[in-house]
Amino acid sequence: MLTKSAAKAFFLGGTVICAAAFVFLTVDTIAQFPDRSHEENMTPEVIHGFEIWTENNCMGCHTLMGEGAYYAPELTQVFRRRGEAWMTEFLKDPQAFYPNRRKMVQYDFYDAKKVGKEEAAKNIADTIAFFNWVGDIDLNGFTGDPNNGPEQDIEKAAAKAAAPTAAASASVDQLATLRSLNAVCAGCHTIGGGALVGPDLAGVANRFDAKYLTKWIQEPSTIKADTTMPNLGLGDAQVKELVDFLLTLK
Amino acid sequence: MKYKSQKIAWYFFAACMGLFLLQLVYGFIMGFAHMGMDGLHDIIPFNAASATHKNLLVVWLLAGFMGAAYWIIPEESGRELWSIKLAWVQLASLLLVGVTAVIGFHLNWWEGRKFLEIPRELDFLVVVNVLAFLFNLLMTIWKGKRITTTASVLFFGLLSAALLYLPGMITFDNIVFDSFFRWWVVHLWVEGVWELIMGAIMSYLLIKLTGVDREVIEKWLYIIVGFTFLSGILGTGHHYYYTGAPGYWLMIGGIFSALEPLAFLGMAMYAIAMARKGGRKHPNKIALTWTIGCAVMSFVGAGFLGFAHTLPSVNMYTHGTLITGMHGHMAFWGAYAMLILAMIAYVLPQVTGRKRYTDWKAEWAFWTSNIGMTGMVGAFAVMGVVQVYLERKGGMDFLEVQEQLHVHAAGLVIAAALFTMGIVLFFMNFCSYGMPNDETLGQED
Repeated sequence: MLTKSAAKAFFLGGTVICAAAFVFLTVDTIAQFPDRSHEENMTPEVIHGFEIWTENNCMGCHTLMGEGAYYAPELTQVFRRRGEAWMTEFLKDPQAFYPNRRKMVQYDFYDAKKVGKEEAAKNIADTIAFFNWVGDIDLNGFTGDPNNGPEQDIEKAAAKAAAPTAAASASVDQLATLRSLNAVCAGCHTIGGGALVGPDLAGVANRFDAKYLTKWIQEPSTIKADTTMPNLGLGDAQVKELVDFLLTLK
Repeated sequence: MKYKSQKIAWYFFAACMGLFLLQLVYGFIMGFAHMGMDGLHDIIPFNAASATHKNLLVVWLLAGFMGAAYWIIPEESGRELWSIKLAWVQLASLLLVGVTAVIGFHLNWWEGRKFLEIPRELDFLVVVNVLAFLFNLLMTIWKGKRITTTASVLFFGLLSAALLYLPGMITFDNIVFDSFFRWWVVHLWVEGVWELIMGAIMSYLLIKLTGVDREVIEKWLYIIVGFTFLSGILGTGHHYYYTGAPGYWLMIGGIFSALEPLAFLGMAMYAIAMARKGGRKHPNKIALTWTIGCAVMSFVGAGFLGFAHTLPSVNMYTHGTLITGMHGHMAFWGAYAMLILAMIAYVLPQVTGRKRYTDWKAEWAFWTSNIGMTGMVGAFAVMGVVQVYLERKGGMDFLEVQEQLHVHAAGLVIAAALFTMGIVLFFMNFCSYGMPNDETLGQED
């Protein structure tokens, strides 16, 4: 029968062996971290972005690399998913996005009124730089990504829509605006890819006219009080270009 | 109660009760937010509520461990506590740090590091506090009549817990390093050295409540903590699958964390076997109920539900979803919260001199809280599984999925209300014993 001293030897021996193995693996892991996380791309902006992430306890709602609370979206691949343009717009006023739904905390760091326009813009840019860097870390295949709908090619969509009516084909200038907006709109809409957060916009020109679409873009909540469509605060010229484009989607 | 200084334990336990009840309030804030009722968002946003909920848990569990150690160590060492004054200072400063941290969380003063949200400035105070605590214990053991296995395992567990707090205080610019060493604290605490503390406290309770020979109980204590470290240390790897560490952690973490349930199963079988074997009929039945309950629920929560998502191929989908919440709630409840409630239930009649052993509140507290927690874990499981399938597998948008979960969050809140009733009953029972006194002084239990 097992004696107490044998039991003690089992405890001490097992602990020492496992602890030694753990320390050995830790040394090896740490040696691999700079490569696996692409430390060479860790600019001061990225480090500042990480500070913003930590200081505001973003992990208290979001997850990053799958770690955090489970109240707000997983952000490991947010840069690939949304792109810089969308993220910049979003962070300027997160509560304007997804109105009537779960809210993000009103922080000072992105608030131009609290920290000044330049500071806010820098903080937003650095936060995005941080997410861009995180997206490249080798996570053994983990993305934590919901499949956010098929990727869209704005040029193809425009060309396809414009094909029957050559007159409505988008100009080069228009495409520049549309491309920058695409990243923002595609966060919620697709063209022929099915409904995501907002409806599929294929054939939207058959359903609505210019006036109605303009109003939707400029003041979404006057059409539908509980809508999740944000007011992006676009200029008149941009709205017109966007509506012209939407009217080609027959 | 053999020694006068053991009374200090009651004050630590009273602090536990207060912090625990406050923790539940913040749990409800989050539960309602998950139902879509986030009216408090502008005052107490979700991240403030979650940091408060988690850190109150850590602080009250630590206060509970300290109270238990201040009760057990003098008795095991056969002398009064080395310094009762130091214990008081230490209790006051622990509460001060805890309350300051919680207020800070509401003012955006924290670190976004799960479980370790307490700002580093306060971390140093925690270290001083714990050093004072350990010094007090060490002097008591040193000057005592004997050094028992139970006392030394308890002390070694507490000392290791203190040492493992240090890696969490290093600052890193790289999130991969930060995450790696954060788990040195969190994992090696709850699935490592805290289990030493748990094993020791449980051994003490079993020795007292079952009357089984100390030599037999302590022999098995070594075997169980041996299995804990054999699986738990390299089992840390299950936190390193998808956070930037090399691929070999998938295999190492997978194998060793799959063994972790064995340690908990061993603990459960050991507690039940000792209770059956014991010839002694201790009148404090409810303390034994909590002790056995702790051993069983820690197997279910930490062992079984942990295993449910610990394999890398499963964790690929469940990592970062509410599945973690399912496991976390019952693991902390079963292994640590119930352990401290068992200790409180055992100590109360002695420290207050009131030999009330058959109160309905005590029994209802046990069953209501456990049924409530089981319901909560069921709700978390449904939420987590639905999230995995709709979001990770089906590709639905995060917020869309979360809206589908509102109804299950309502289930969570209802189960949590039942759980809270149990804890309130426990608290009422705690209060009905009155203040500690010297009535049973010098009597060996």
